[in-house]
Amino acid sequence: MKIQPIVAILIALVLGWWLMKGEDTPAEAPVLHVLAGSELKDVEPLLPQLEKDTGVRLKLDYIGTLDGAEQLSQGADYPLAWFSHAKYLELLSGMNARIQAREKIALSPVVIGVRQSVARRFGWDASPPSWREIGQRAEAGELRFAMTNPTASNSGFSALIGLIAALSSDPEGFTLTPAQQEEVKGFFKGQRLTAGSSGWLAESYTRDQERLDAIVNYESVLLQLNRGGQLKEPLTMIYPREGVVTADYPLLLLDPAQRAAYDKVVAWFRQPGIQERLMKETDRRPMLPTVPLDARFKARDLIELPFPGQRSVVDRILSSYLDEQRPVAHAFFVLDLSGSMQGERLAALKASLLNLMGADTSLTGQFARFRAREQVTFLPFRDTVETPNTIGLSTEAAIEGELESARAYVRQFHAGGGTAVYAALAEAYRRVAEARQAHPERYYSIVLMTDGVSNSGLDFDLFRAAYQALPPDVRVTKTFPILFGESDNAAMHGLAELTGGKVFDGSQNLAAAFKAIRGYQ
Amino acid sequence: MRRTLAPLLALLLIAGIGFAIYDSMSEQMTLRERVSITGLIGSEKEAFFADPRVQKALEENGLIVKVEKAGSRQIATAYDLKKYDFAFPAGQPAADKILQAVGKRSTDTPFFTPMVIASWRPIATILEANGVVRERDGVYYWFDLDRYFEWTQRETRWKDLKDNAAYPVNKSVLIRSTDVRKSNSAAMYLALMSYIANGQRIIASRDEMDAALPRLAPLFLRQGYTEYSSEGPFENYLAMGMGSSPLVMIYESQFIHEALKEPSAIRPEMVLLYPEPGLFTRHVLVGLSEQGARLGQVLSNDEALRRLAIEHGFRTSDAASFQAQARQRHLAVPAELIQVIDPPSYEILEGMIQAIEQLMN
Repeated sequence: MKIQPIVAILIALVLGWWLMKGEDTPAEAPVLHVLAGSELKDVEPLLPQLEKDTGVRLKLDYIGTLDGAEQLSQGADYPLAWFSHAKYLELLSGMNARIQAREKIALSPVVIGVRQSVARRFGWDASPPSWREIGQRAEAGELRFAMTNPTASNSGFSALIGLIAALSSDPEGFTLTPAQQEEVKGFFKGQRLTAGSSGWLAESYTRDQERLDAIVNYESVLLQLNRGGQLKEPLTMIYPREGVVTADYPLLLLDPAQRAAYDKVVAWFRQPGIQERLMKETDRRPMLPTVPLDARFKARDLIELPFPGQRSVVDRILSSYLDEQRPVAHAFFVLDLSGSMQGERLAALKASLLNLMGADTSLTGQFARFRAREQVTFLPFRDTVETPNTIGLSTEAAIEGELESARAYVRQFHAGGGTAVYAALAEAYRRVAEARQAHPERYYSIVLMTDGVSNSGLDFDLFRAAYQALPPDVRVTKTFPILFGESDNAAMHGLAELTGGKVFDGSQNLAAAFKAIRGYQ
Repeated sequence: MRRTLAPLLALLLIAGIGFAIYDSMSEQMTLRERVSITGLIGSEKEAFFADPRVQKALEENGLIVKVEKAGSRQIATAYDLKKYDFAFPAGQPAADKILQAVGKRSTDTPFFTPMVIASWRPIATILEANGVVRERDGVYYWFDLDRYFEWTQRETRWKDLKDNAAYPVNKSVLIRSTDVRKSNSAAMYLALMSYIANGQRIIASRDEMDAALPRLAPLFLRQGYTEYSSEGPFENYLAMGMGSSPLVMIYESQFIHEALKEPSAIRPEMVLLYPEPGLFTRHVLVGLSEQGARLGQVLSNDEALRRLAIEHGFRTSDAASFQAQARQRHLAVPAELIQVIDPPSYEILEGMIQAIEQLMN
């Protein structure tokens, strides 16, 4: 059969018209990048449904809360941002003009998960303790807990704000009397594990659960830990009597041109059905008040503690935490000065260390630098371990002079010789053991930076044997290897696995890796 | 067979094209009768504009209205107003601020709403026992703002009050508001408390303002972090409960609108407290384009839209309908407020806000 040409043309015209009509053609889903807190990873499984229902595809790019806040305030180009809260972000200069809209998506208070048997022993399962009682147990060594670094992660930040508001006789002023300051210090005597991210803290708690009694985190993370089947003993949720600080997960619109997509995403998340899914699958409390709360959320009406409204108050709280309240940190830096480090690599290493000594004046740089009371031991190595150098920092008033001598030390680093990675690391653990004898109350950690494969001294297997022979309280010291140059990535991951540490990739930006590790020290 | 099929097909297709052209033409023609306009609104009116009945009534008046939310006091400074057809902030001072930025424009005030304090029955009972709240005709009145103001100066805490078993909390007795720099409802709270601080007189001079400021600033500074828009604290009140939000300064319309919703988040223990004296927030529409200005007139004059405004909790010049609705739906709201004050002049209020802003930064 032969169709007349006119008919063919007509068919083509009509088809063309239907296709052009627009609404019926499925639009290509544009990808919207969202700068997001790592604690929102558990929302990802909902995103395909979001795309199906709204045509908007979200891609979450993860970052720490404070880091993210800083990047955005410096103009990082993201159409949307999503963190556990935006309170700190809004206090940074210039941010208010950038935020076009914000809508809260869900709720999760920062609480304390205490091992069931421990909670029972203290009677906390029957009647919730005050922050003060929790602090007293921690100070007495009866409550060993994990909490993230408040300068790097929002769960630790919220807990610190809550603790201070609860202990202060003037919660709205966030001021502490000398006696209250001692109470805060007492609380942190119980801290045995820190981290730069809430998610990693939860994983690390699972690994170290034998030696810990409690973990401070979002209620959602703790409920997920309980559901995960990895815990030998479930956690009892403790909602301190004075109150808590609650994350409200606002989705922020930064690019006004994306308003329509943003409105769709918000409307989707705030439907009753999706709020319910968020509650069931991510253990967050619904923002929509008409969605009834599940039975597993034990405390319903939580007292919400005040949150500072001024940047200066937040900075004062964080500085006081670092310089006065937190357990004294003793960080070991095991540094490769072999011949292959010559040139740009050595320059990058020096710059990274100088950043931690005050050269990085950014907001996060100030919190990441070496702080008052901190002990820093440098263990450079080539064919063998070189003479270590420990710099003890005293008070914030004297720190400039002390850092200056540290800078002079780092500036004279020069490259040459072989690579005795494991011998150096074994030496670091030996020195941790020694230091721990004198100061068991300090928080020890090891950073390993090497750009090559070990070619001198112990090998990995011998190191492992030596490590496993260490006393348990030394073995808890984690090693944070940095990938750099031709470092043996498999071995570095093996070291992190063995010691419970975490690998950081410095191959693109060595300074950023050193800075990020500070949250874990 | 082939011979008959081809012309038939052609005929069918021509008919199809004819229909298609007609279809798209008629669509365009109806579009031409209406104009699409975009405006910035205070968040408290978002639900009103999102209501399909409101949209339909507006379309019948030839308007397709798109809105974006903003802190009422931020509209004048944080947005490029040239891109919008109208601004519809809450509060005369916020409207004045916009008029200062764009010059003389037409304004309309289609509705208004009193400032109220959203609270909880156990809290109201504690306040009643401590002599600052009194129940009258089923409505709670906060009659002693003087004493509340005194509490804020002495930093009185909930645990210091008598008969406080329901709320023995170590937090200051402090009404939560929005960010006074950005949002009208906080500015209205400041207006109200400045009247109290000035010995029950509207502040009228720089001297009176300077004298009152040191005692007014803590009402805001001590709240710590505050939200930019009136929707935020009310949302927290509904979602997080009494522990988070014992006393929240809101618009009466927010509460009524939520109470009339299906399903509603309003529970029996949620109550409103009416400060005495009271203060109204006027919702002023500033026309930025000709069609934007027309929206103001339509909202003021269209019978259906005026009725819908009342259903959204606003008060209009039609007091009888508002009262009838309250009676019918058993809302504990007074038909009218006896003692009402005006906010201080634009210059005084802005001056106070700027002084507080300096302390905040």
